[in-house]
Amino acid sequence: MIEVRSVSQSYSRDKEILKEVDLVVREREITALVGANGAGKSTLLGVMTNLLPAKKGVVMLDGVDIRKIKTNEVAKKIAFLKQTQQLSIRITVKDLVEFGRFPHCGGRLRDEDREKVEEAIYYMKLEDLQESYLDEISGGQRQRAFIAMILAQDTPYIFLDEPLNNLDIKYSVEMMKIVTKLVEDLGKTIVVVLHDINFAAAYASHIVAMKDGQVIKEGSPKEVITPSVLNPVFDHDFHIVDHDGRSVCLYYDHE
Amino acid sequence: MEKIAKLRHKFLEFAGQSGYAPTIKHSGSGKRAVVVIIILLVLIAAASALYIYSRTYAKAFRLGVPMTPQAFDSILSRTIPHLYGMGAAAVVLAVVSLSFQTITQSRVLTPSMIGFDSVFVGTQTVLVFFFGAQHFLFADPFINYLITAGIMVVVSMLMFGAILRNHRNNIVFLLMFGLVLSGIVGSGTSYLQIIMNESDFFQVAAATAVNVNNMNVGIINLALPIMAAVVALTLWRHRRYNVMTLGPQQAKGLGVAYEKELKWNLILIAVGMSVATAMIGSLTFLGLLAVNAAREVLKTYKHLPLFIGSALMAALTLILGQSVMELLQGAIPVTAIINLVGCSYIFFLILKENRI
Repeated sequence: MIEVRSVSQSYSRDKEILKEVDLVVREREITALVGANGAGKSTLLGVMTNLLPAKKGVVMLDGVDIRKIKTNEVAKKIAFLKQTQQLSIRITVKDLVEFGRFPHCGGRLRDEDREKVEEAIYYMKLEDLQESYLDEISGGQRQRAFIAMILAQDTPYIFLDEPLNNLDIKYSVEMMKIVTKLVEDLGKTIVVVLHDINFAAAYASHIVAMKDGQVIKEGSPKEVITPSVLNPVFDHDFHIVDHDGRSVCLYYDHE
Repeated sequence: MEKIAKLRHKFLEFAGQSGYAPTIKHSGSGKRAVVVIIILLVLIAAASALYIYSRTYAKAFRLGVPMTPQAFDSILSRTIPHLYGMGAAAVVLAVVSLSFQTITQSRVLTPSMIGFDSVFVGTQTVLVFFFGAQHFLFADPFINYLITAGIMVVVSMLMFGAILRNHRNNIVFLLMFGLVLSGIVGSGTSYLQIIMNESDFFQVAAATAVNVNNMNVGIINLALPIMAAVVALTLWRHRRYNVMTLGPQQAKGLGVAYEKELKWNLILIAVGMSVATAMIGSLTFLGLLAVNAAREVLKTYKHLPLFIGSALMAALTLILGQSVMELLQGAIPVTAIINLVGCSYIFFLILKENRI
């Protein structure tokens, strides 16, 4: 259970990135954070994972203030994947996935850790690529390798910061299908920052719309994907169409 | 047979290799590390022999005097501490350079470049200026060392507070800080040296002119345990460094208390740098050269083989360089060679990676 209680965050004194945010993460669901640039989505993600300890307010992880929990213990419950994965080192897929076991074994792999690594590689269909170096494979495969790493981390919560960045449409859809499967098969709780509102509408079961560091509206896609919510959030005119019971946003300006 | 297999397993594990279900590529890199380390050890032994030869028989031959066993023993007893000193200092410099490169995420930085050396000279000058060369704060090598190390730790903590926490990954900022720090401390130091009295000045000059030829062997008994501690503590964290190469955010996500690690590392680096500088003087490019050479031949990101490889590489470079210098009768100081090669290499790295 992750609960955000009136969290405020600021980098400098006069500019607040988050203002009194309250949020309860829904278990075993995909929660999408949407909003314009600078709305505070990534900062909220950082606060929830304690990468950026909250300055005001508190984030409770299973009833305990997350700032009081050791980094290592947090990493056993929360896995986090950052926006872009640029590595300064040349490593194989398997090496990367093995890093996921670090919170559990401190880098000294035991048999159970190796099993988890193999399971994660198998689950992400990376068996044939496990000895390949990350710079030799495609962007989509690389993203899968990083997902395999956080699967090996074996945490109930997974936080993804713009996982679709730099992915083309095919890989983006594949990625979101994987994320959906993680919830359905493995019962993970996922919070994901998405730039494209249509991906949120199509794959998330809960959407949190943010603007200027505040949560404007949260609810099911049906509740959030409406012009009355989205127009002020994105400061843009939305046209919503219904396609097979799914809401799709058309936000291109056509005269 | 079983024993051999077991040993091999241990060896591979030691080389940063899992040993579990070894695949061809994997056991290759583990084996490579072991082979490289063995070759380096053999070369170091050869270089040490060459160094002893250069100071005994080569010298005797040059001077046209016979090498008696007594003379040999007497020279040897002076040469061995030098060998120890060079080896230990090289190991410490290589180890702290690698950990510094990992925490700054850069392959072209070493702690010397951000002004640690100038802080050492500055501290010595200030001690003599305010207390006099006879005062125990300066004259007692142990107390002198503790003060120097303490100030270097404080400076690195300041650096941590001012730079690494707020401008992480901002290498330009870090280099600027080092440049300005060296400048301020350097000019302050020369000012004090000009206005202090002559005998004090010579004392400072003697204390700060330590180099590979003029090693401060007096503090070796203090230096060796400290160096061993720094190396042991750094190597003990080798798995954490592996995770830290993924970058601060990802490392934190994987449970590394990054800020705490950063602080500990800067303390270890400051202590290591201060003791190495006090004993053997400034060797700006040795760490850089050794770490990158180790990366090139080991081709791994794993820190245990990298630490060991860099340390051996540094010891080899220094001892071999010093032997050559002895054979050439001091025509070229070894630091000049190392700096020349190191400078060229840093140019090459900057041009190749097109960034600092």
